[in-house]
Amino acid sequence: MSGPSGDKLIYVDMTDQSVEIRDFPEEWKLLGGRGLSAKILLAECDPTCDALGPDNVLVMAPGVLAGTAAPTSGRLSVGGKSPLTGGIKEANTGGQPGQHLAKLGYRGIVVKGQPADADKRYAIEVNAEGVQVVAADDHKGKWNYALCMDLHGQYPKTASFITCGPAGEMQLTGASVATTDQDNRYPARHAARGGLGAVMGSKGLKYVAVDPGKASVRQAADREKFGELCKEYTKGYLAGPQMFKTGTSSVVPVANMLHTFPYKNRVEGQSPDASTLEGARINESFETRGGQMHNCMTGCIVKCSNIVHDAEGEYKTSALEFETLTLLGANCAVASWEDVADMDRLCDEVGLDTIETGGAIAVLMDAGQMEWGDADAMRKLIAEIPEGTDRGTAIGNGAVATGKFTGHHRVPEARGQAIPAWDPRPLKATGVCYCTSAMGADHTAGLIVNPGLAPDQFAWEAQKVQLLNAVCDTSGFCQFLQPSLDDIRAFFGALYGEEVTREAIHDQGWQCLEDEWEFNRKAGFTAADDKMADCLGQDAVGAEGAKVVFDVPDDIIQAVFKRMPAQEDLFTAKASG
Amino acid sequence: MPTVLIPPPYRGPTQGTGEVEVEGGDVLGSLEDVDRKFPGFLAQVVNEDGAVLPFVKLFKNGDQLDVAEALRTPVGGDDEIEVLAAIAGG
Repeated sequence: MSGPSGDKLIYVDMTDQSVEIRDFPEEWKLLGGRGLSAKILLAECDPTCDALGPDNVLVMAPGVLAGTAAPTSGRLSVGGKSPLTGGIKEANTGGQPGQHLAKLGYRGIVVKGQPADADKRYAIEVNAEGVQVVAADDHKGKWNYALCMDLHGQYPKTASFITCGPAGEMQLTGASVATTDQDNRYPARHAARGGLGAVMGSKGLKYVAVDPGKASVRQAADREKFGELCKEYTKGYLAGPQMFKTGTSSVVPVANMLHTFPYKNRVEGQSPDASTLEGARINESFETRGGQMHNCMTGCIVKCSNIVHDAEGEYKTSALEFETLTLLGANCAVASWEDVADMDRLCDEVGLDTIETGGAIAVLMDAGQMEWGDADAMRKLIAEIPEGTDRGTAIGNGAVATGKFTGHHRVPEARGQAIPAWDPRPLKATGVCYCTSAMGADHTAGLIVNPGLAPDQFAWEAQKVQLLNAVCDTSGFCQFLQPSLDDIRAFFGALYGEEVTREAIHDQGWQCLEDEWEFNRKAGFTAADDKMADCLGQDAVGAEGAKVVFDVPDDIIQAVFKRMPAQEDLFTAKASG
Repeated sequence: MPTVLIPPPYRGPTQGTGEVEVEGGDVLGSLEDVDRKFPGFLAQVVNEDGAVLPFVKLFKNGDQLDVAEALRTPVGGDDEIEVLAAIAGG
């Protein structure tokens, strides 16, 4: 036996709503998720196209290991040309659709074209009987939670959904793509970064329904070895410190200590409100309000996702993450995690990236057009985005658009994308990732939390972590499981019954980065774009007497684009994002 | 000699150094040894009242130490003390 076989790719042309099922190329068997998306986009999408026009291509692809028994391996990559950055984009999400697509033998959905009538809405239905495009006009304009409530009544209980909120329908460039999670089937997981929700909206695609029915787990070629790997890896993980079992929100105090918990549009690296924003407060609320930690997808052993309840004990949102607490909290001088939870729910409802939205509102506040810390005004602002007000539209289009709207010059961004919590001033090597990743300022493409790293190590560390994360996002493993390249190639090898060498896995990661960089070069990006916003090179953060700016020389940044010989740690380092 | 393993996020004060040999005695003494060589390190692990910060986990030879007893745990020989703190985006 040679492992999973007979896999297919779904091609949908939204111009005439036609569907074509193609055989998945045998030579691509170790390509999934981000790597597959990059391969398809480079070959089939004109990099100079209008990201919101018919020539853009939207890819939704589970990782190689999705649908198998490998722990925490069902991640879904959403890819396309980003309307926010103008470059290639992959945004990664948990939830059930990745697992369900893979169990049905579909390695991806490739959506092309655009309906002639922009007012029409459609859905793609995927199940054991096949694939079809159906009208979805009845769901036009619905917020994500209301949409999913209705879809749960419309489809079998086994179905999961990929949805587009009103921000995506309005083609706002901060729009996310939502996926439903395991326990409560809410649209609480998001492929958030880069405005891919707007691409989905531009194609008139309101949702994708994936019903696996009784589809079974994908079986490996070497079942015994694959089973042993799953058992050993799970046992090892559970015997370890399980650093994420209280949620990513528990990172707040460490980040604050390291001056990477930005305050007031990053004029400071620490917030005076860290103690009221940190995850411990959220976890304390479980006792009196309910709520809990859970896994967002079948087979997850990390369980980093919190379910947050309101004061009445009713479900409010999930998951309230470190990045959201930072960008919609500290960075806007909001002091209460409960206020941030409200805004997280609103962003999930409207279908917005919480990082981009928080970055945009902080620019608005910095421009003097909203009071710092005014959570009521923020709630109203996010809720008005679907109404299409000028101010709401600017916020929905992200931090750079908000800078233009307000005339405010201080916009912390790289490649047009708001900087995540992890700040490139104390964490300069992470800044090198932001400058060199085709994804722009996206910590999931490369995160190096090592403030003591010597500058001569920046280029190698940035290349290493970007390559590792590219392979991780190709595999379907969650970055929080922290697999190494050696771990991933062992699973790949057992899945297909063949050895995957260190050289082969190194090549795969490098090829993914090369494909993405090549797409951006063809889109018109040059070395002049490999830079950080001026304000981060001018405004220092850090302890008194040790304040830092982002001042990494260009030669170090450009060195990342040249493949370096593999060092041992390339294969043993753990993914992080 | 015993060694203290420093996680990447805590290598600011140690200027990138990931392993520091110490005299031993107990865990607190070992951490204080690191701080003498690299001032600023201890404040990342222990608060002003002398308690381990709530987001820090300490391990001895791979075994997680109980928070209440961690700092008084004896250290000697070739023991390895590891400091860990959660880092993730989300």
